[in-house]
Amino acid sequence: MLQTGVRALVERRTIANANDRRRQVRKKSILLALLALLIGALALTAAGCGGDDDGGGGDAAATGDTGGDGDGGGDVSELPSASCEAMVYEGEGSPDVLIASDLPLQGSSRVQTVQMVEGIQFVLEQHGWKAGDTNVGYQSCDDSTAQAGKWDPGKCSQNANAYAQNEAVVGVIGTFNSGCAAIIIPVLNNAPGGGVAMVSPANTYVCLTEAGPGCAKDEPDKYYPAGSRNYTRMVAHDAYQGAAVAQYAQSIGIESVYVLNDREAYGLGVAQNFRNAAESLGMKVSGFAAWDPKASSYEALFRKIKASGAQSVFLGGLICENGGQVIKDKVSVLGPNAATPDEGIVLLMPDGFTTQATIDEAGKSAAGAFSSVAGVPADQLEGAGKEFVDSFMESSGAEPPLEPYTAYAAQAAEVILAAVEAGGADRAAVIQSMFEFTTTDGIIAPEFEINENGDPTVGPVTIYVAAKSFDTQEVVTPEAELVEAAKGGGA
Amino acid sequence: MERVKGRSGMGAAGRGWNQLPERARTLIPATILILLAVLYPWYHENWLAEFTNVPVIINFPSVSTAVIVIVFVIMAVGLNIVVGYAGLLDLGYVAFYAVGAYTAGWLASGHFQQVSFHFGSAGISRDLNGIHVNVWIVLLAAGLLTALAGIIIGLPTLRLRGDYLAIVTLGFGEIVPVFVRNGDNLGGFNLTAGTFGINPIDSPGFGEGLNGAWGGLPVNFQQSFIREKLFFYAALALLLITLFCSVRLRESRLGRAWIAIREDETAAAAMGIPLMRTKTWAYALGAFFGGIAGAYYASFKSGAFPSEFYFNISVFLLCMVVLGGMGSVWGVVTAGSILAWLNVEGLANIGTYLKRQTPLDFEVAKYQFGIYGVIIVLMMLFRPTGLIPERRRKLEMEEGVQDESVYGASR
Amino acid sequence: MNVFFIGLTNGAVYGLVALGYTLVYGILQLINFAHGDVFALSGLVAFSVLSGKFLGITSDDSMVIIIGALLLCLILTMPLFAVGNALIELVAYRRLRTAPRLAPLITAVGVSFIVQNVGLAVYDVEFYGATELLPRSNAIEIGSFAYQWNKLIVLLIVVPLLVSLTWFVRSTRQGKAMRATAQDKDASAMMGINVNRTISVTFALAGALAAAAGLLFLLQFNMRYDTGFQLGLFAFTAAVLGGIGNLSGAVLGATIIGLIEAFNEGLRWGHPLDGAWFFPDVGAPSDWTRAVIFGILIAILVFRPEGLLGERTAEGT
Repeated sequence: MLQTGVRALVERRTIANANDRRRQVRKKSILLALLALLIGALALTAAGCGGDDDGGGGDAAATGDTGGDGDGGGDVSELPSASCEAMVYEGEGSPDVLIASDLPLQGSSRVQTVQMVEGIQFVLEQHGWKAGDTNVGYQSCDDSTAQAGKWDPGKCSQNANAYAQNEAVVGVIGTFNSGCAAIIIPVLNNAPGGGVAMVSPANTYVCLTEAGPGCAKDEPDKYYPAGSRNYTRMVAHDAYQGAAVAQYAQSIGIESVYVLNDREAYGLGVAQNFRNAAESLGMKVSGFAAWDPKASSYEALFRKIKASGAQSVFLGGLICENGGQVIKDKVSVLGPNAATPDEGIVLLMPDGFTTQATIDEAGKSAAGAFSSVAGVPADQLEGAGKEFVDSFMESSGAEPPLEPYTAYAAQAAEVILAAVEAGGADRAAVIQSMFEFTTTDGIIAPEFEINENGDPTVGPVTIYVAAKSFDTQEVVTPEAELVEAAKGGGA
Repeated sequence: MERVKGRSGMGAAGRGWNQLPERARTLIPATILILLAVLYPWYHENWLAEFTNVPVIINFPSVSTAVIVIVFVIMAVGLNIVVGYAGLLDLGYVAFYAVGAYTAGWLASGHFQQVSFHFGSAGISRDLNGIHVNVWIVLLAAGLLTALAGIIIGLPTLRLRGDYLAIVTLGFGEIVPVFVRNGDNLGGFNLTAGTFGINPIDSPGFGEGLNGAWGGLPVNFQQSFIREKLFFYAALALLLITLFCSVRLRESRLGRAWIAIREDETAAAAMGIPLMRTKTWAYALGAFFGGIAGAYYASFKSGAFPSEFYFNISVFLLCMVVLGGMGSVWGVVTAGSILAWLNVEGLANIGTYLKRQTPLDFEVAKYQFGIYGVIIVLMMLFRPTGLIPERRRKLEMEEGVQDESVYGASR
Repeated sequence: MNVFFIGLTNGAVYGLVALGYTLVYGILQLINFAHGDVFALSGLVAFSVLSGKFLGITSDDSMVIIIGALLLCLILTMPLFAVGNALIELVAYRRLRTAPRLAPLITAVGVSFIVQNVGLAVYDVEFYGATELLPRSNAIEIGSFAYQWNKLIVLLIVVPLLVSLTWFVRSTRQGKAMRATAQDKDASAMMGINVNRTISVTFALAGALAAAAGLLFLLQFNMRYDTGFQLGLFAFTAAVLGGIGNLSGAVLGATIIGLIEAFNEGLRWGHPLDGAWFFPDVGAPSDWTRAVIFGILIAILVFRPEGLLGERTAEGT
């Protein structure tokens, strides 16, 4: 073996030597040829850029023309079919502008997000696929991957650039996850044409819109590289939720709590907000730790919590970060979820767990756990909200209770439509009128507006308790001081 | 490549073709391919983009897809240096991709708020904190840093061989994502921003100096409606440089040493080839291209996130190399382009097509890695030399210049 | 003390999987990447057998029925995956016995993805678990130390399996054939040993052990289609740690890995009482478990490739 190897090598070397001179000559000429090619390519690049730029400018002008009056009927190009469903448009003629929704349509969130898409379509249908004179088409895009079963940063960024580059897109409804929003907002903010308007029905991470001692130094400014805002949300941020859950915890007599988080933007944020609120209410925070979504068991973690003697556990995070196993291990180590600290150890969860998927994945262990969602529960909405819930349930045949975020998705669609009505196909104008939105007949609350940060002026938080589904336990309105405290300091 | 082309030319044309000097036979098809690639955005916009209902694939890859495809091809060509040329199985190439992406994050974003350092950054306000180095320089820095990472990983591990080396690289490939995921609190120092990832990362641009030159080069890619095209041309230039280096490396003294090691390590050592140094060079150079591609991709996506760097990416890249033919640059480029396109939108489109046209409700994209698995297994079983085999590699496979086989390994 | 037993129990499950790696490596010098995924798939199949349409066992059934169902499940899944694993060898690896060494390794990576995607196709990305099937009441309780039923059952199944495996390899004809083939295939063939059959039997054994591990894992934890990849790597680390190719080494290595994992997660390294004097503050230690385990894997391969109990081979140096 060795010998043949050596012989082979020697032969090869001899041949190599013989070829050496010829090679050197060849080497030089190949080098030259490739250099020439490279220069040629660069020159072509430059030429290409120039030519294409003209084309781009022309297109922009064309869109501007059709944007003003919708009757002309624009010719919008659809978003890529790799992550977006085909465009839905059932109005007259053809759509002038596109709005897209960006939600994780696979994995644990699917139950919620599919209903949100239906909600958005329902609203568009009610408006006859029109915002004022502008015909509005809709595409539902997916920011999750089937393999991970949750949102994927690569998909978020891919989608964001697709929206930014498609001139017909004037508004995006999404995202569901704050982590994904942090990726999409800056791209849309810096998008050509003055940025793309974005309305999230579900992001609750505080620092997306507001600076505060709990945020990084460059938050939220780093999300808005263009210097102006383009993002609003329909749901009160986590300072409200943290404050409300802490307030509720105190009302049932909890004095100490162990706070866990999944280290994602949303989970860590809400865990910190809750901790700050709990501390300011005088509760003892027995510990603040993270769970690793890739771990197979959290028993050791919960034993540590047991040793700390905490009366309750708060799970800042999402069900799709292996939350089912976390809940199961909580119950197996600390016992069933109690209603008050006298009966056992209470489990408190934010809106990342308030979905039927939690009950499906955690099984019996979910029973008795408290979870919260900012806003009023669907069955207690009034006016336009009640009307929406009733007619939507009837048309979609959805089983009650409605998933908590469906009404918010519908409200987000209303806001975008109102903004497009005023702004037409002009991206910058749509953003401007989005921030001017006010209503006296809203779905999620009878009266609310959007402040300059992009946050809605609504504040109650609903506490649910898990049984066969999530049942409403109590609606809590957190005190303003406590909300401030929840934004809190410390990292 | 030249052989394949030579054979396919039939009749008189074929005879004429064969009479051309060898150099021309390589350069003519290469030139045609390069021209086709360079003109792609133009004929895509004016011609291909009109087809929105192509059977099976629905639409032709958009320019932004093409950028991602090129980035992955660059990585595959880099991996080909390690796996194909030097015969070192690397199952953790994703680690180099991660290092490249995070270098871009460190050197071209507002991540380090403590400092404010600007160096030739294009279209970035001077008021912004953080380190903002010109992205072109960052690419080079990322390549060098990744090469250094390759050397650091390589030095202790390269004396292992075969499957043990593969497992060690896999271990590194797993540790790096854990590290970047948890690197937001290293004794209180935030190095990687944890699960949040570093976001946003600066875009390349032409700066104020060239602004408006040649009919409107933008200061910064991001703020332009032709962003995708600009990224495409820059990526294509990077790919051409990578290919050029890769081809030249193979013919160089170093490249011949790699191939000797691949064919018979013991014999190569006996001939006086310094094993460690030669292998480490393979690692460093392979990593270099992975780093450049990673940094460029991070800039294109304007972010680097820990959840992107997982084992499947390493296997995906390996699949490109296996399918194309280990050691065959043109094979890897071909297979890489096809697979990367399938990954970005091809499979999803085929799934959509099946859903629309047939009663079959089969989400092709969901099983992409299963499909790559099938490709790998079938290729290894029936055509281990790849689609476009390298001549020498083919001889090795067929005539049995090889290291110990599984059976011969009984010691 | 409780942490110690959590580690021991997890280690026992890793051990069953690690044995599969070690058996196959011992005989073919092949790292069978797909093994972890075979394990995960078997766990998911066990879930189907236990729940829903087939047996429909719930935690309300009496203990006798549950244990009977578990045994029935083992009787069904172990042969199934034994055959499955042997088939994988037949289809994917056998043709490559004379190919260069990296060829079957690359193939194994491919097979791993295929098996994983079979799991994905049938079970989607949902998590499955039968953690509530067995009572979590304490079986043994001495002071602050407690050991639950659902953990005890792991040891109750693993120990007899290990004993019978040892007996099989040491004392039966087929076991002797396996050891002979591992030492020298050509010589064994000349001695009249059917090498192909012996290799198939080895794969079948590994598959059966994986199926048992799958069921045990299912009783403790939630799992989904890709659980096997990481767990497989842990188990492989265990096999390498103990000395790959060495049966008792695999069990020892697995125990150590299980303990490292449990202690890393259960203790407070960053806490002043437990180790802040030694470890810098790097966040929660549980975040670093995977890094620690893969670090061990690399360190062992680089510095002592023969493992704790193995013999030095030409792979290293």
